[in-house]
Amino acid sequence: MLSYLIRRILIGLLTLLFITFFVYGLIRNMPGTPLTLEESTNLARELTEEDANRLAKHYGLDKPWYEGYSVWLSRVVQFDLGRSIPKPYTVTELISERLPATLLLSGSSLFLTYLLSIPLGLFSTATKDSYFERGLGLFLYMLYSLPAFVAALYLQILFHQKLGWLPLANMVTDISEFKNLTLLEKTWDVTLHSILPVFCFTYGSLAYYTRFVKSNMIEVEQQDYIRTAKAKGVHPFKILVVHAFRNTLVPLVTLVGLTLPALLSGAVILEQIFAWPGMGSLFFESIDQRDYDTTMGLVLMFSVMTLLGQLLADVLYAVVDPRITYD
Amino acid sequence: MYRFGSYLLVTSLCLTMLGCSSDDLNVTKGSDANSNTTTTATSLTDEDLYKPILLPFDAPPLAELDAKVTWVDQPVWNPYEILKDKLDETEPLTEVKTALSLRNDYPISKVNNEKIKSALGRGPISNKQVDYEATLTRRVGGDAKTTNPIMVSSTTDFDVSSLINMELFGFDWNMTPFANSEYVKSWQTSESLLYEKITLRNDIYWEDGTQVTAHDVVFSFQTILNPEIPIPATRTGTDLIRWIEAYDDFTIIIFHPEASPVNIWNINFPVIAKHIYEKTIPDDKSLKSSDAHRELEKNPLESGPYRLIDRSFDQELVFERREEYYMVNGKQVRDKPYFKKIRLRIMKDPNTAIIALKSGEIEEMEITAEHWNTQANDDDFYKLNTKATATEWVSFHFCWNCKSKFFQDLKVRQAMGFAFDHEELLDKMFKGLYAPSNGPFHPKAWMAPKNPPPFLKQDLDKAEDLLDEAGWGDSNFDGVRDKMINGKRVDFEFNVLCSQSPTSKRVSTLLKESLDQIGIICHVKTLEFTVLQQYNLDGNFDATFGGWGTGTDPYLTENIFGTGKKRNYGKYSSAKVDQLYKQGLAEFDKEKRAAIYGDIHQTLYADQPYTWLFYRNSFYGFNKRLRGYYFSPRGPYNYNPGFYSVWAAASE
Repeated sequence: MLSYLIRRILIGLLTLLFITFFVYGLIRNMPGTPLTLEESTNLARELTEEDANRLAKHYGLDKPWYEGYSVWLSRVVQFDLGRSIPKPYTVTELISERLPATLLLSGSSLFLTYLLSIPLGLFSTATKDSYFERGLGLFLYMLYSLPAFVAALYLQILFHQKLGWLPLANMVTDISEFKNLTLLEKTWDVTLHSILPVFCFTYGSLAYYTRFVKSNMIEVEQQDYIRTAKAKGVHPFKILVVHAFRNTLVPLVTLVGLTLPALLSGAVILEQIFAWPGMGSLFFESIDQRDYDTTMGLVLMFSVMTLLGQLLADVLYAVVDPRITYD
Repeated sequence: MYRFGSYLLVTSLCLTMLGCSSDDLNVTKGSDANSNTTTTATSLTDEDLYKPILLPFDAPPLAELDAKVTWVDQPVWNPYEILKDKLDETEPLTEVKTALSLRNDYPISKVNNEKIKSALGRGPISNKQVDYEATLTRRVGGDAKTTNPIMVSSTTDFDVSSLINMELFGFDWNMTPFANSEYVKSWQTSESLLYEKITLRNDIYWEDGTQVTAHDVVFSFQTILNPEIPIPATRTGTDLIRWIEAYDDFTIIIFHPEASPVNIWNINFPVIAKHIYEKTIPDDKSLKSSDAHRELEKNPLESGPYRLIDRSFDQELVFERREEYYMVNGKQVRDKPYFKKIRLRIMKDPNTAIIALKSGEIEEMEITAEHWNTQANDDDFYKLNTKATATEWVSFHFCWNCKSKFFQDLKVRQAMGFAFDHEELLDKMFKGLYAPSNGPFHPKAWMAPKNPPPFLKQDLDKAEDLLDEAGWGDSNFDGVRDKMINGKRVDFEFNVLCSQSPTSKRVSTLLKESLDQIGIICHVKTLEFTVLQQYNLDGNFDATFGGWGTGTDPYLTENIFGTGKKRNYGKYSSAKVDQLYKQGLAEFDKEKRAAIYGDIHQTLYADQPYTWLFYRNSFYGFNKRLRGYYFSPRGPYNYNPGFYSVWAAASE
């Protein structure tokens, strides 16, 4: 197992090197630089040629992209992700500022998705081919096809503007007052603000996960040992949950591993609609502003999470399925 | 207050739409844009780059200067009072109560819009009318990048800076410059226009209690001109000042290298605290990295009416009125800012923002033209809010690349103007919300020609005749115009670049549809804004759609139409226009300057480097408790007093 892990980590590091090299090359060769907007959007305060050159040198833009990459890489191996170009903060600061909001949104959403889709998937299996099961499937697929940004707008109008039950946007009601609240009040305030974004972030994936659980369950139900259990008169609930569901855990665990990067990547459009200070909008902005170090810091983080997720899934295989070993 | 002369490229303001994705580019002409993504700094040595900008200067003693110079007093005005005087010249068109009950159905009828602006856009008659304890919640479209006034670049940066920093100079709704009497005691200019003598008030204090002095002004000037400090465009203009000398704690003399009618526009640079930054800059010339500068970024040292008290990234900035700004030693020395607290709530999505306005979560916002007659026009909107609009001197155009094989011929550019369906654009697409444009200067601007050229109208016959004359016929009868260029037949098929905003796409598509009718194939290419701007800067296009806001002086447009200038994206070149711009900078009589710039307007109209299309209005929604919003050609805020004229009515 240890040698397997070491091998996987080494391959992962090589993959990271390739990904970051490729992405850095791409973003540095996109039309536009961090100075483009400064040079073009304020006519009265036009950057002089000398100032543009000074800024380019200061930010290392005078070097070819591959040299820029080696500078970036040499910093990263010293655990320094660099500094944002337009903002006076380090990339680590920018990411850590947005991490809690992103984790709250995607973590809650992922938790809710599993919490709802597993019972729904089991229920759909148990009531297979009934009108109720078909109705549920139809409803979930309708949700799946409803764009989250459309739903978000209608939910905002209904629950905020018309009913006044839920806050419209942002993470807290008032940042000044928030500091003076008790822990319970703070939690309540953030929870209220999270409801709509978490719902919009979640409902679309319910159909996918429910279908995933159901299709795996149906496959397992065809197995001999299930037929044997039924023949032996085991209670249908026990067959469903203990015998069948346990054997669908392997693909589900893979899915958990693969959703790990989604925990941190955020959601650009929903974050904009709900004014949620997450990672998605930071990523979008950094690309828009050609903030190379911030983009690379985020790409590196997403890549590490993806590779870790895959490794985690492989390790969990062995945990949930004794037949799999890496020795 | 807002920085002088800022022309903002306005297409950027339309870019908060969702679902942005860049199309693949198919640019038909120009160099590879990617080749310019590495700048040219490599060609310059460090010695070249970091040689001093500010050369040594022996400032003469003040007595000597006073003896040889005749000083002429310049306006030192209180921004609140000049607006009040202006508004007092006319009677309100209706009562406040009536105005609040009106629905603004502009452009169907313009009467209610005028009544709302006239009745609600006024200052208080007495202090009792003002709720000085009010908190104002404004919407901003993005977070501030910095709180350091000399590093500002984004719109929100300017909003923040104008709240927390003093600015010695301003300009009114006519863009007449003046020194702000809240900070400046006197301002004089020498008859020769080479020197400015400014006396600061002795009752301005930094947040830490240290007095603001002339030495802060000089230190700020020298910091801005320090080539080792990576300052964005703030340096431009300031670098045209030869020297600034502090003769005592409150008297400064600005030395200009030469007399110019536009020297005034260079002297309003931001001021930072010398006693703080002279200690921190030697350790960190980036102004970003050291602990001291990071702390200053979080807790800036304010000198203006408000202090930053709370901030949450991408969420909110909260400001509180500085009592010591207007009360010094127990005596009121300045006008009390109207709001106790100001919250800038960051809402990038305009749909979310309009719901927030309707529910009272925010109390003012710039509303989009799309929302004006839809979401900002229902009962829910009028329950808490009213709205107003005014023409803003923000003109939109198609820019033709004069080096392109398609548009180098004047007749072709003229044909484009006649081919475009201006009526469809203004009457149907924009439903009468916008006014037509025919050149760089608004018809009501002082520099606009006295006999303005007509607004273009679609005339397809004329367009076709012009194209025929230019040699663009249909030689192979395939329905597409063509021309023999260097022995090869070239079809008239080009791309028009535009941003991803819905307006840009709709207008560009209308061009495509108009040109379809006269045998020209036009492809609309929507691009991510930064890509679009880079292509514009590189001249890497045949045609591009965009817009410019208005500056404070017409000389700034040389940047757009002068030969070889950076923002002259279409590579237009006219010896006459270049000469006129030179004359404009050498002429001191305002009327004669107006004639010169009017001539530029006429020449540009004749040469059609742009097809000018329309002026975009500013549309604003205001909570009904707000008053005092007065619209200038730069909108209700981007002048003096601008935002500071807005107040909340005390409940009766």
